Amino acid sequence: MKKFSHVNALTIDEAVSILRRYGDRASLIAGGTDLLGKMKDRILSRYPEALVNLKTIPGLDFIKEENRILEIGALTRLEDIAIDQTVRGGYAALAQAANRTASPHLREMGTIGGNICQDIRCWYYRHPNNRFPCLRKGGGRCYAIEGDNRYHSIFGGSVEEGCYAVHPSDTAPALIALDAEIRTSKRTIKAGDFFQVEVTKTTVLDEDEIVTKILVPRPPENAKSGFVKFALRKTIDFPIVNCAALISSSEGKVSAARICLNAGYVKPYRASRAEEVIVGKTFNEADAEAAGSAAVSEAKPLPHNGYMVQIAKTMVKRAILACG
Amino acid sequence: MASDNLGDYERVQEEGKYSLEADIPTITFTEIGKRGIRRMDGYEKASGKAIYTRDMQLPGMLYGRVLMSPYARAKILRMDTGRAEALPGVRSIMRYDDPEIEGRGLNGSYFAPGWVGRQLKRSGLVEDELEGWGLKPVRPVLGDEAWYEGQPVGVAVAADSEDIANEALRLVDMDWEELPFVLDQEEALKPDAPILRPNSDSNLLEDPRQLLEVGDVEKGFKEADRIIEFTARRNAHLWAGAEMASVLVRWRGDNLEMWLREQQPYHAKMLFAEWMDLPMNRITVHSPYMGCSFGERGNPANNPSNGMNILAALFSKRTGRPVKFLYNRNETFFGESGDMMVSYFKVGAKEDGTITAVQIKNVFAVYMCTPGIEHFIDNTRIPNLKCEAITVDVSKAAAWWDRCEQLPNTFCFTLVFDHVAAELGMDPTEVALKNDGYDSRDTTHLSKYKSEHGFPDRDSLRECIKAGKKAIGWDEKWHPPGTKKLPNGKMHGMAFTWDHAWDDVRGTGSAAILIENDGTVSIIGQQADIGVNPWTAYCQIVADELGMRYQDINIKPFDLDQGFALMSPDGSCNLCSNGIVLRKAARKAKKMLLELAAQKFEDVRPEELDTKDRIIYVKSDPKREKTIKEVVARAMPMFASAGYWSEAPVIAWAWHTHGVWGEALETGRPRLGRQSHFIEVEVDTETGTVEVSRVVNVNDVGKAVSPETVEGQMYGGSYLGVGRSLTEEMIWDGKTGVLLNRNLLDYKYATMVDYGPVDAIFLETGLGHGPYGAIGVGEATATMMPALLGPAVYNAIGHWIDDFPITPDKVLKALGKA
Repeated sequence: MKKFSHVNALTIDEAVSILRRYGDRASLIAGGTDLLGKMKDRILSRYPEALVNLKTIPGLDFIKEENRILEIGALTRLEDIAIDQTVRGGYAALAQAANRTASPHLREMGTIGGNICQDIRCWYYRHPNNRFPCLRKGGGRCYAIEGDNRYHSIFGGSVEEGCYAVHPSDTAPALIALDAEIRTSKRTIKAGDFFQVEVTKTTVLDEDEIVTKILVPRPPENAKSGFVKFALRKTIDFPIVNCAALISSSEGKVSAARICLNAGYVKPYRASRAEEVIVGKTFNEADAEAAGSAAVSEAKPLPHNGYMVQIAKTMVKRAILACG
Repeated sequence: MASDNLGDYERVQEEGKYSLEADIPTITFTEIGKRGIRRMDGYEKASGKAIYTRDMQLPGMLYGRVLMSPYARAKILRMDTGRAEALPGVRSIMRYDDPEIEGRGLNGSYFAPGWVGRQLKRSGLVEDELEGWGLKPVRPVLGDEAWYEGQPVGVAVAADSEDIANEALRLVDMDWEELPFVLDQEEALKPDAPILRPNSDSNLLEDPRQLLEVGDVEKGFKEADRIIEFTARRNAHLWAGAEMASVLVRWRGDNLEMWLREQQPYHAKMLFAEWMDLPMNRITVHSPYMGCSFGERGNPANNPSNGMNILAALFSKRTGRPVKFLYNRNETFFGESGDMMVSYFKVGAKEDGTITAVQIKNVFAVYMCTPGIEHFIDNTRIPNLKCEAITVDVSKAAAWWDRCEQLPNTFCFTLVFDHVAAELGMDPTEVALKNDGYDSRDTTHLSKYKSEHGFPDRDSLRECIKAGKKAIGWDEKWHPPGTKKLPNGKMHGMAFTWDHAWDDVRGTGSAAILIENDGTVSIIGQQADIGVNPWTAYCQIVADELGMRYQDINIKPFDLDQGFALMSPDGSCNLCSNGIVLRKAARKAKKMLLELAAQKFEDVRPEELDTKDRIIYVKSDPKREKTIKEVVARAMPMFASAGYWSEAPVIAWAWHTHGVWGEALETGRPRLGRQSHFIEVEVDTETGTVEVSRVVNVNDVGKAVSPETVEGQMYGGSYLGVGRSLTEEMIWDGKTGVLLNRNLLDYKYATMVDYGPVDAIFLETGLGHGPYGAIGVGEATATMMPALLGPAVYNAIGHWIDDFPITPDKVLKALGKA
């Protein structure tokens, strides 16, 4: 019923100019798998006045590897990434993450750009008809902190405001572990710096900034990457906790490690302490477990999500062992 | 037996009674029991061509939508519909204070004189029969007060499109007074809990069956070597339908026509007629294909069934246009399964596995159906049983028989038997065999019953257990709890449960068989489609009874007003009653057919003839034959001209009642068939994940009329059943009473990749009270599976988690890791 403009952008510049014109009253749409649900459920008090369709922009749907850099266009669908032989061979964590995202149907629609730019998950925030006007929507309180928070952050709330929602992307931790870069219409951002904990945003992107492609450096020959995900069901579900790791080793010992958890915090959570613990160790259960424990050493679980700490610990452990 | 002295009505009644005797087949099975038969509804459904109520379009049709309360309990203080009325495309707005609404309620009186009233009278608790269900008080179809979040309340809209109707609802300006609410049934009984019902001093709902007692449990406890006490909890799960609620209504002068997505269209029509003050004969009901049911559409307190129908009719009357009322997905989440319960168990057992007493206290939330101990009466020899079942009002939609009213029974039955076996360190299959029986009597009494009534003397439970144990490798794999770690690091567990097979002792229906004058056959009788493929089985029965072929038979199930209605599978009994209805009708039609044929043969009497493979032949001289087609060529309901087509049509109808709900023993028919179920799990002790790696279902179906349907039912039941114990759970926010997971992402049905293979094994012992010895299967498997995960997880990790669903957080907690 609610009317909105729908603009098929033909170039990034055109899309950017439309965004500038509408300010925060426009939304980008690619696969639409997150946005349309939000609009249909009217979870926000404001409805976008314009949707800027990116799918009509040519040249943003590709996977190629040149000079040991994997380039993935922002409009590349998750399923294409999941089955791509190059990605599966050299960038296993990303292929695995894409493959565990949502369901086959949604992976055929959802894009990598959308996956990293998707909105947070919280069943209060996303309740239909803006039933819970939480602080992320400009309201005064976080309903999750006083309600049922079994799927919320175990590492505390966002910096000042106290939103305990989680970032649900499966590909985000893989990109951070693989030390990817996000190319936008304005700049290049390290994947690790891309996500943001501000209450109204999930990324550092400006209002008129569009992700155009992902650049992933090919891991060294002595490195392996892996991705593990914990969810109640084997398909469809967003992660309760997931974890990606990229681990280099020589002579059976870990020489370098990048480990990232997600869905346990308002943005992907780099498990730096686990990285410190595992470097210099061999691939074995006990050391991997010790790294897992280190990863959650700063966990501050809420009343209903204490179990997620154990799961996060296990995910780190298994992600490490998957790289062995 | 029908007697010549009987009047026509008396004869119908007499012929329609169930028999206590075994139903030994008298015909040759050609189509019955055959595999590879194409289902009656298969093409339409698989091709997407089937039309459902929601698909229906009529010229000038409007779309109706109703406001759902955003609050768990609230009263409307002020409501301004001005802006909604002004919205272009809005054709009518119905307010709670409109005169048309006055006096129109949800709960009807029709059910009460039935079983509720009868149970009450029998219990001696009351003299008079109740009006309406005791579940929740009779409520207006559109009130100014909401009793739960999601309750239709305040205002409804009819508009040119669904979007406009939705927008109009958003434009209604309202002031609410939020009232105190309570979500948990035990909290609701505490002295400081808000009292939810007006003019009441307690949230305890009146339930006629608060106490069921057999023998003397105190005596049983004294005889026991062990006393086993435990508590269990089952959180609500959803009724789980694919097709969302809708109804389409149009007035034709003083007549009203409706398309109903209803499991029980006849009941819906009765309630509707009552609240609309409309004569039954002025209502025409179409009953198209249905995308689901699972018991959801039989609840008179469930607004989709009644409130929606009434609102659509009122709008249609006002506007003179057809009105289709629709619920969207998240609006179908209000209404729970009937096993929102907290259970307190005390069981006495001897060291050899003999159970001497079972005492249960069940505290239900907004539900009254099965107390939870009846299966101990129906299929065990346990002499001392006591069940106190109380029902408490809470600020949630009414729970109902969604996904089977026997869930409390299977929950209690499985947990008691498996706890006893675990406590005694016994194989649970042995504990089952030790206690099998009925009505406090052992299996020698069952054998006696079987021989006296012509049933084969087979031991159904023993056979079910044997088949299941073999399939799952029980004897090789069964182990003490918490002792088997698999090579993959996970803990292995297995569990077993059992019960009687159901249902074969209830249901009432009617149907006619018309032999068209081209020799094909129409089954005339409305039946709600809830996807269990009964129509194929009906056609198989009619084909074999008439000596015809499956492809000669068709069924016309979509219109209630053709006068005949087959039992909808609401009562867990479908084939077992309807199969007999159709067989009776077919036999009467065959008798007529042979009478007509005898006239054509001229020199033989009807009883000298028989049919086979579309041919009528003389039994003593089978070469003398005529095709059915040539015999009936001139027999037709009407023809405009010429005396040639002057023979009366071959049409016969039958009515049959197979008993009423909840009464097997009362009618002298103990449950003879059994079922056994086995499950294997792998528990990941680091994440708490329970993986169901194998399921073996063994159902004694008595006689499988359609083997593939039986297997389909068992597969479907397993998958839908296991998910209830793994992940399905409705989750409310404690601070607001809002249901948090009202979508199919956060409400987690297990998917087809979430568990391992299922073995569907059925036995055909002939021990059923249904046609040819059949027993039901559809609901049983699904209802048996949920509680079985508990003992399986116990066997894996050595800790009981009697709190369902068994989600990873609970497993980790039991393991001391969360």
